[in-house]
Amino acid sequence: MPLNNQRSIRLLRISEILYLSLAVLSFYLLIASRAGEAHTVWEVLNPGFIPTLFVTTFLLLEILFTSEKTTQKLCFIIIYSILIHSLFSIIIPAGDLSGQQMVLGQTRRVFDNTILHGLSGWPTATVQTFILEMFEGINLQAALTTIFARMFGVDILYVHLFYIPVLWGAFVPIASFLTSRAIGGSEKASVLSSLLVSAFPYAVYFGAISVPNSLGFIFFFYSLYFMLRHLTSNDSKAAFWMLAFSFFSFLAHFLTGIMSFSLLFLTTALREFENEKEHSTTSARILLMVTFIICASLLPLSFIYLRLLGTSTNPVFTLDKLYELPPSEIVGQFFLGELLYGFDLKTVILVIIGPSFALLYLIYLLLKIKRNSSAKFQTRIYFLFAAFLIMLIDYGILKLFMEGLPINEERLWVFRDFIAVPFVALAVSAVFSSVKGFLKARFTSRITVASLKTLSRGGVLQVFSLLLTLNVLIPGLLGVWIAFSLTAAYPQVAPLQTTWYELEAVKFIEKNTTEKYVVIGDIWTIFAGEVIVGIQNPDAYYFRENDKTGHDLFVNMKQNPSPQWMIQAMNYTDTTVAYFIITEPRVGTEEYNNVVSKALENQQLRVVGTFGDGKLYVFSYEKA
Amino acid sequence: MKRILTFDMIEKSVVQDKNFLGTIVSYSVIFAIFLNLNSFQSPLIGLMAFVIYFVINAVFLGNAFFEKENTFFRLMFGVLLLIMLLGFVGWLVMIIYNLDVSRFTLVLVISTTLSSWLNRRMKHRNATE
Repeated sequence: MPLNNQRSIRLLRISEILYLSLAVLSFYLLIASRAGEAHTVWEVLNPGFIPTLFVTTFLLLEILFTSEKTTQKLCFIIIYSILIHSLFSIIIPAGDLSGQQMVLGQTRRVFDNTILHGLSGWPTATVQTFILEMFEGINLQAALTTIFARMFGVDILYVHLFYIPVLWGAFVPIASFLTSRAIGGSEKASVLSSLLVSAFPYAVYFGAISVPNSLGFIFFFYSLYFMLRHLTSNDSKAAFWMLAFSFFSFLAHFLTGIMSFSLLFLTTALREFENEKEHSTTSARILLMVTFIICASLLPLSFIYLRLLGTSTNPVFTLDKLYELPPSEIVGQFFLGELLYGFDLKTVILVIIGPSFALLYLIYLLLKIKRNSSAKFQTRIYFLFAAFLIMLIDYGILKLFMEGLPINEERLWVFRDFIAVPFVALAVSAVFSSVKGFLKARFTSRITVASLKTLSRGGVLQVFSLLLTLNVLIPGLLGVWIAFSLTAAYPQVAPLQTTWYELEAVKFIEKNTTEKYVVIGDIWTIFAGEVIVGIQNPDAYYFRENDKTGHDLFVNMKQNPSPQWMIQAMNYTDTTVAYFIITEPRVGTEEYNNVVSKALENQQLRVVGTFGDGKLYVFSYEKA
Repeated sequence: MKRILTFDMIEKSVVQDKNFLGTIVSYSVIFAIFLNLNSFQSPLIGLMAFVIYFVINAVFLGNAFFEKENTFFRLMFGVLLLIMLLGFVGWLVMIIYNLDVSRFTLVLVISTTLSSWLNRRMKHRNATE
């Protein structure tokens, strides 16, 4: 083996060891940042984490641009991806507040066998309600997390917190790699694309929370890849997997399922178009156009059809926003959505820079294809462009022409980001290749100190600036982009996350109560209860977050802490012990002191314990 | 000469499934998981069983459907398919009744049986293609 080659391999191995060490250090810094009382991850994150992450990213990018094996590079990216999606799960004891805790609360009912026939239970009001609820994504998620938790023999909380970050970290980069390769990306460009998914804040956020939608996004990305394969091949396997992944993305979440199926129609239409255009261009184009409109309208219409099946929300088409909002805000909402309100400029830029860059490169590719109609992968690029447009149109319809939707419209941005990532990687790779090409064309011989001496001062400067661009500037910029995207992905402002003392109080009650009990508390107590014992558990009853009875009982207890409300709660839930939890940071010091002193005055209420240095009081009352 | 056990060798022996060795090991792991759940409740045993179960069945599925991909992608696709299979069977069992320990074990048994059967069936099909 030549000496230079040996030296570069040794250098590569050193970089890899250094990278792995830094990745371990980053994980350690996350664990060291673990806090029992925090609003956001940023509040308690070790100050060394972001600089370490930047250096780790920089090193990883340097490795990606070498001739290391692709599978090795992908393994490194998977580790990195798991790392950046685990901030909530590692730092906050109960993970991100609300959404994923509500899912956990429901899943616990399956894990604890307190419900039969899925989370809808049986009997339901109507058969159609049962069918609709059977296909709710939470059922698949509940089944999967329960299976994993039982396999490991651990509590479902740990599996629930980590299973999406790990699945996302492992499978989304691979899907991105495969998609990029399917549109003609080189191995290096495709590997880069698998890393760049981490530069898209919305994609990072959904990879960090364990909700059914996140699982659906993973399946959607694979269905997209198999659609690309199916577009230009007659391989029946590609068609089968395209259908299978679309079905699973539907099973995981309604939104991802509908998007998969609308793109599936588009795939079929585009294939037909490719076959038909030889015979009759006009009719083929009309058919394609009609299919495009149908595909774009599938998602908005599906929300209306959902209403027929009796969902809790009431989605309708409306022109109210067009009449009410000024034109500038309408345009702003279409392009920026929720970013228009309360987000700083840095976050806005970080969210839109990737898709905008991708769209520009996509347009450039389309123009290039137009000049050369025999270009390879042209059908796939046309397809992705059409899919990108569908996402934009659907987002616009949902945002401006509909209301009462059961989801946040910005979730559609994750689809848009998935389509954008490969194009950003191709663009970066193209820039990288042109700089490299220019360097090779300008200086054909291997650049050594001796050869530099033969160049003029301008030449030396040119070589240095090109080498700097290749080895420092491009990886550095990408590293900064990814590290900064993390600050936009994880919220900068949030309510106080579930605290250690709320969890301790719930655990204490569960451990020390032998009879069936009910807990009256605010919504934050309910979230803590969901994490430890689940929701509406007949043995350890916590009201649902939106349960009016539970809310009213808590308000009454706050105003007048007496056994009267606790007896009501016990009668309502068929339990024999009732607990009342009040927490200082949730209600404010003044109200807390007032409620606690009133409760202490009442001789019938027993103080079970205080937690968090007096920040949380638990009172109880037993049925005589 | 000392022989080094590589993943390729493990994969080859699992795929061959000579005398149903891979399938039997997989069933034994399910039994170990069942025992662990009912008696020891040790995460360490659970982790080991999880890894063995996933490697065997992911290799079965990866080879059955993605034979032409390289080892890494075959394994990753196999893992993803196994997760889908477990999720789907688990979802069905949960909808039919519930996912208590015995029915969870049933889910694992069904998934292993299907994976092993698919591996054998597709191996024959791929060989005749």
